[in-house]
Amino acid sequence: MFKATWRNFFAHKGRLALTLLVVVLSVGFVTGTLLFTDTINRTFDQMFASTSADVTVSQTAAQNQEVSASDPTVPASLVSRLATVPGAASVRGEVSTEQLVVTDAQGHQLSSSGGSPTVGTNWDPNGTSTSLSSGHAPQGQGEAVLDADTASHQRLVIGDELKVVAGPGTFTVKIVGLSQFKTLNPGSAFVYFDTPTAQADLLGKTGVFTSVDLTAAHGTSDDQLKANVLTAIGGHYDVKTAAEETSSNLSGLGFVSVLRVALLGFAGIALLVGAFLIVNTFQMLVAQRTRELGLLRALGASRKQVNRSVRTEAFLLGVIGSTLGIGAGYGLAAGLIVLMRGAGLNMPAGHLALELSTPIAGYAVGIIVTLIAAWGPARRAARISPMAALRDAGMPEDRRASRVRSAIGLVVAGGGAAALVAAANSSGGTGGAMLGLGVLATLVGEVLIGPLLASGVIRVLGLAIPRLFGPVGLLAKRNALRNPRRTGATAAALMIGLSLVAGLSVVSSSLLASASAQLDSSVGADFIITANGDLGVTPQALAAAKATPGLAHVTENKDITAKVGSTAAQADFFASSSTMPQDFTVKTVSGDMARVYSGDGIAIPQDLATAQHIRLGESVPVTFTGGSATDLPVVAITSEDTVFNKGSSYVSLQTLDASLPAAEQPIDFMLFAKADPGQADATYKQLQDRLAGYPQLDVKNQADYKALLHNEVAQLLDLVYGLLGLAIVVAILGVINTLALSVVERTREIGLLRAIGLSRRSLRRMIRLESVLIALFGAILGLGLGMGWGISAQRLMATAGLDVLSIPWPTIVAVLVGAGVVGLLAALLPALRASRMKVLRAIATD
Amino acid sequence: MSMPIPTSMPTSASLVDHRSPVAARAERVVKAYGSGETRVTALDAVDVEIERARFTAIMGPSGSGKSTLMHCLAGLDQVSSGKIFVGDAELSAMKDKALTRLRRDRIGFIFQSFNLLPTLNALENITLPMDIAGRRPDQAWLDRVIETVGLADRLKHRPTQLSGGQQQRVAVARALASRPEIIFGDEPTGNLDSRAGAEVLGFLRRSVDELKQTMVMVTHDPVAAAYADRVLFLADGRIVEEMSAPTAEAVLDRMRRFDGRRES
Repeated sequence: MFKATWRNFFAHKGRLALTLLVVVLSVGFVTGTLLFTDTINRTFDQMFASTSADVTVSQTAAQNQEVSASDPTVPASLVSRLATVPGAASVRGEVSTEQLVVTDAQGHQLSSSGGSPTVGTNWDPNGTSTSLSSGHAPQGQGEAVLDADTASHQRLVIGDELKVVAGPGTFTVKIVGLSQFKTLNPGSAFVYFDTPTAQADLLGKTGVFTSVDLTAAHGTSDDQLKANVLTAIGGHYDVKTAAEETSSNLSGLGFVSVLRVALLGFAGIALLVGAFLIVNTFQMLVAQRTRELGLLRALGASRKQVNRSVRTEAFLLGVIGSTLGIGAGYGLAAGLIVLMRGAGLNMPAGHLALELSTPIAGYAVGIIVTLIAAWGPARRAARISPMAALRDAGMPEDRRASRVRSAIGLVVAGGGAAALVAAANSSGGTGGAMLGLGVLATLVGEVLIGPLLASGVIRVLGLAIPRLFGPVGLLAKRNALRNPRRTGATAAALMIGLSLVAGLSVVSSSLLASASAQLDSSVGADFIITANGDLGVTPQALAAAKATPGLAHVTENKDITAKVGSTAAQADFFASSSTMPQDFTVKTVSGDMARVYSGDGIAIPQDLATAQHIRLGESVPVTFTGGSATDLPVVAITSEDTVFNKGSSYVSLQTLDASLPAAEQPIDFMLFAKADPGQADATYKQLQDRLAGYPQLDVKNQADYKALLHNEVAQLLDLVYGLLGLAIVVAILGVINTLALSVVERTREIGLLRAIGLSRRSLRRMIRLESVLIALFGAILGLGLGMGWGISAQRLMATAGLDVLSIPWPTIVAVLVGAGVVGLLAALLPALRASRMKVLRAIATD
Repeated sequence: MSMPIPTSMPTSASLVDHRSPVAARAERVVKAYGSGETRVTALDAVDVEIERARFTAIMGPSGSGKSTLMHCLAGLDQVSSGKIFVGDAELSAMKDKALTRLRRDRIGFIFQSFNLLPTLNALENITLPMDIAGRRPDQAWLDRVIETVGLADRLKHRPTQLSGGQQQRVAVARALASRPEIIFGDEPTGNLDSRAGAEVLGFLRRSVDELKQTMVMVTHDPVAAAYADRVLFLADGRIVEEMSAPTAEAVLDRMRRFDGRRES
């Protein structure tokens, strides 16, 4: 029996080729993701391990250090105090900050905004992680060393000038040397200065370091050294061993695990879609081999043996597909790493982190999915009666969609629809769960009633077809309808990807429309100036902005956290100048925002007020990070119904000044500005020119800011669509596969049609039309479903700021047209194959 | 109702009689497969004329080339050398497109099995060749054909709802409906029991007698051959004998001689 299975598998290898490709793609994506993220993790792990000192001593981190005006520092005297600690071989004060922007003479930034940061640090002649590759070490103001990778990337050489914009001010340096990393390049741009320059021009203070690095003497462990340090200086500082530093750095790499989960999610969708294809393939192969399997049964093979034979075939497919897929995943990961290197993150290619779990996961995913998908067809194969061997070869038609299946599908889909409606009419709370349930149930339900819908939808779609395409159209329509289950499964594969596309496009389009509407209604400022990176709006930049002629006022904004009320709950505050109400209107539930900026009150969001039982007018203790508790009256409660600053509390800068010393205040991260009446356009240009010297700042008027929002959302969507592309490619392979197998199955019909005079061209058109019908059916199902999801999600979040429903019709129509085109393309090869069939041989086929 | 296009539609059976008495002919037709040592000659310089409005049966033992001859005459297969004419059209010079059109407009087929498209009902199957050609069927003629084969109450049935005999009758009706110059039958009763077979053969006979249809049928059944006006016997790719007004016994006798020769 196994021999028969084995022979069969290879006899049908052509028919299994596309199915195999799908397993390869899906498994490849899964293993590629695992390999890639493992490699990133390992690379960072090694990098942090190699760049961390044995023991690092730094200032205890304040909560708001990320947006603080300057990096937390330790006094230089700490270096000499630590020099006497037993077990310390060397002690060095380090200055390292990311609060700077470095550009070349033409103003191009060394590292792209949003990408890896630029790091400014003091040069360590005995550094363990870097060495000078050419030139000399920086000496005095005006000299700097640049890492060689950045230099070659930016085409900079020794002698070129760099402009450094830092917190204390802007200065120019000449590149006097290039450095290289001894182990790994972390991918950031590194600029090295001598220690006094780094202290004065980067930190703005002399006699301080950002940390003190200790190297353990031979025979002293890192932990031992840390204990010695703690004994010497007490617990006032943050003391970490290299291992602790590495793990705390790695915990900041949450994006890698998010990336991993997201990519695996997309792989999962593709795999789900692939499962439909595998089910379809095996069902068709079993149907085509009905006589053969009947003969086996007649010759005495048991049901169990037939069942096992089909499952063995699936197992072989899974094993071969997974093996190739793991290879493909290796290639994918290597490709991604090359791509990452192009983007500046220097990772060693060819050294992928191959954990044992990766191939295991690959095989498990490939084999298990294939076996599950083949389970149903195998059972059907086992049920074939020995009588099938004796019957005429006519294909058993499976016209009626199973009633039980349709009934279950209708119930599940109905339940799902009800959940979606419930989600749409609820706000928060259980709404999210309802939405998730509704999405899942409608998806499952629609897959189940797919065959039933196929009959209806294709009949409607096909109404125009006989008129447009004559008898060929009629044949195409009937062919698409003749096996609703197969058509349903083929279309369902396409439906899944497209429903996600439609749902996301509705939500994102609504988000943009809502944001745009709120921008119009709440932002009164003519200009919005945002800071990228860690540097923020430096005092010089603020002064430059304020000095711009034609400006009526500039509103400063700081982000700061505070403890509000009796509990330890942290609230994010938006601290602004008194001109804030002219520039930005905050929706309130009760109270008056104007009083925040005219007096010493604060505004808190409704959720916080409810959670902390704070009522309007009450005074509550507020402890801004770095300061002490002050009682402040709550003069307004803000609405949660907003896209901007959702959940934010508000305070005026005057009030903040009274509660927190200026040194502890974070730097401005955003400015609003308003032009004198009628001067908006002229001033926009002026403002951009004035701030051109501060590359970390982005000046936008309202229209450009909206365009920026659109761009950002569009980029994110493109990325998501790109990843969903895998699922859609798999679905297209499914359409091709179904058509190809149908052509094989209908060989005799095709021969007959050709014999009685159907031209090759008409035959090809018939197959193309069938394909287009299936693709359009899938697209209509998917788009309908996705739009339902999107609308439900928008309604659910209507009270949370997403109050405008916007259905992106151009996208929807484009997807529909695209699906039709995809149908055409998918039919190319099967149609060509059908039209190439020799008439006589086709008729004589058994 | 628009007027039927006269050029593409012979309107009366009497027109047929004015044309040449030969509906199709083969001149020195050779059909060979393979080359060199493995070369197999299926047809070896065959000359034959198919008479119009007559019923011709082609017989012969397995491998005699009878099906190949029919396929070549019907434009389904290309000859290696020699010429095939249907009416005045020379098939051997035609490319696929022209052959397809010829089959569509001038030839009808009845195969041994799987004659009908399972997705179309009986009536749709009958009119399919004309639908493909974009021609409107002659309703009066269609009614007559359907009546002749006795299918009036089965027109909306799908092939799977019809018996084997009924399916073959639909196939006969389809072949007749477009009034082709020749209908070729490839063992049209091969899959039927003797009663259903006799019924179908009866229709073929009547279509020749009453509708002046030209009919060519390949068969190995002497009883079926006896329905023909003329029987051609093929052996080893050559026409070895011809019989007019055959009877089943005479045909059987002749066939036995082939078997005898083969056994000796």
